[in-house]
Amino acid sequence: MRGRTRTALILMAALYLTACGVSNVVIEGSFPTPNINKLPLTVAVYYDAALREFAYIEYSETGTEEYNIASGQSHIELFGAVLPAMFDGVIVVASIEEAQALGVDAIFAPNIEEFQLALPAKTKLDVFEIWIKYNMRLMTAEGDYIADWVLTSYGKTPTESLRSAEAAINAAAVVALRDLASSFSLSFTEVPEVKDWLNTL
Amino acid sequence: MKHLIGRNRLGSALLLLVSLACCTTTTIDEFRQGETGIESYESVVILGRRQASDYETRSEFVKCVGEGMAQGENSISIVPEQEFIDAMFPWFEPRTAPLRTRDLERLMTEAVVADRMTEFGVRYIVWLDGFTETSDRSGSISCVVSPGGAGCFGFGSWEDDATYDARVWDVNSLSDVGTISTDATGQSYLPAFVIPIPLIARVEANACSRLATQLKEFVNGS
Repeated sequence: MRGRTRTALILMAALYLTACGVSNVVIEGSFPTPNINKLPLTVAVYYDAALREFAYIEYSETGTEEYNIASGQSHIELFGAVLPAMFDGVIVVASIEEAQALGVDAIFAPNIEEFQLALPAKTKLDVFEIWIKYNMRLMTAEGDYIADWVLTSYGKTPTESLRSAEAAINAAAVVALRDLASSFSLSFTEVPEVKDWLNTL
Repeated sequence: MKHLIGRNRLGSALLLLVSLACCTTTTIDEFRQGETGIESYESVVILGRRQASDYETRSEFVKCVGEGMAQGENSISIVPEQEFIDAMFPWFEPRTAPLRTRDLERLMTEAVVADRMTEFGVRYIVWLDGFTETSDRSGSISCVVSPGGAGCFGFGSWEDDATYDARVWDVNSLSDVGTISTDATGQSYLPAFVIPIPLIARVEANACSRLATQLKEFVNGS
């Protein structure tokens, strides 16, 4: 009898802990290389700590942490697939100073400004949605300003039985990252300041 | 004797329920705008539309239609959706995919896109757009667990409605050659007398198989 009570108590405690804990989601996905024309430029890429370690926390209606979504590494993987398809040469640097010493054509530094998650339980829609707002910076080899523009990406995935919320969040984030890759790679040369700079080369 | 009649009645009621549950009504509408036909070395790619804000065409449904077209008599070579989208990246993403044949015409001026299309041997692009919706949920089921055993009692029912449009683009002529619409509805039941017995109407599966058959005939030009 004592054994049964103990088992029941352990099960209840486990259930309580599961219900209260934050779910960690590390975004993972594969990103194809874009089929676009390369620009004859060598670009240094600088990922700052804020991007490398980017994580978003979604809070429940009661204010407790519900999901901790880490997407810094997946962003680096994404740019790793996209940038070599856009430029002849891409060098990842640890600091802006290091890039300046390399004598590249430009320095690119992406940043995540905002991350939003919409869960079906809150929106009453049968989709998980993710919005991400970026600030893209392009500098000369000397670190002077070329362009600074905002990009937004969006991804959604429908709710499915037998799929966890974590897996759905990951799927929506991968769609959002692909959306970033497509809009960034296709609109890069259309950014007015970038266009002006390219015309001077 | 009375007991036997009662049993027969219950059995008949259950049989009726099963037969009702198996009943799915499927309507297919075909609208042809141009001549079709396909050679053995050509293929078809089926893509799901994902532009709507509140739903998106499920990739499982797209896959199901593709598998249906690739089987049986007059089967057609189908390019898997994800393989095509990845190979064409970033031109067929939700934000960049062509919405009209005019957009496809513009897209085909990109050498990379035209080359990939030739590599796959794509003759037709089929755009699938739609979703399956569950409505009219009614009834309730209660389950009890006690030291003596467990069981569920009650009755539940719901209706599923699958509505999909398949728009067919001819890559050779860069034109819209037709649209096939399918609408399937069916009622599902879940009676529970100790054990729940799901009697599910295969609405989406029926919509998929009818649409695949019709698309196959359409593309073959028959």
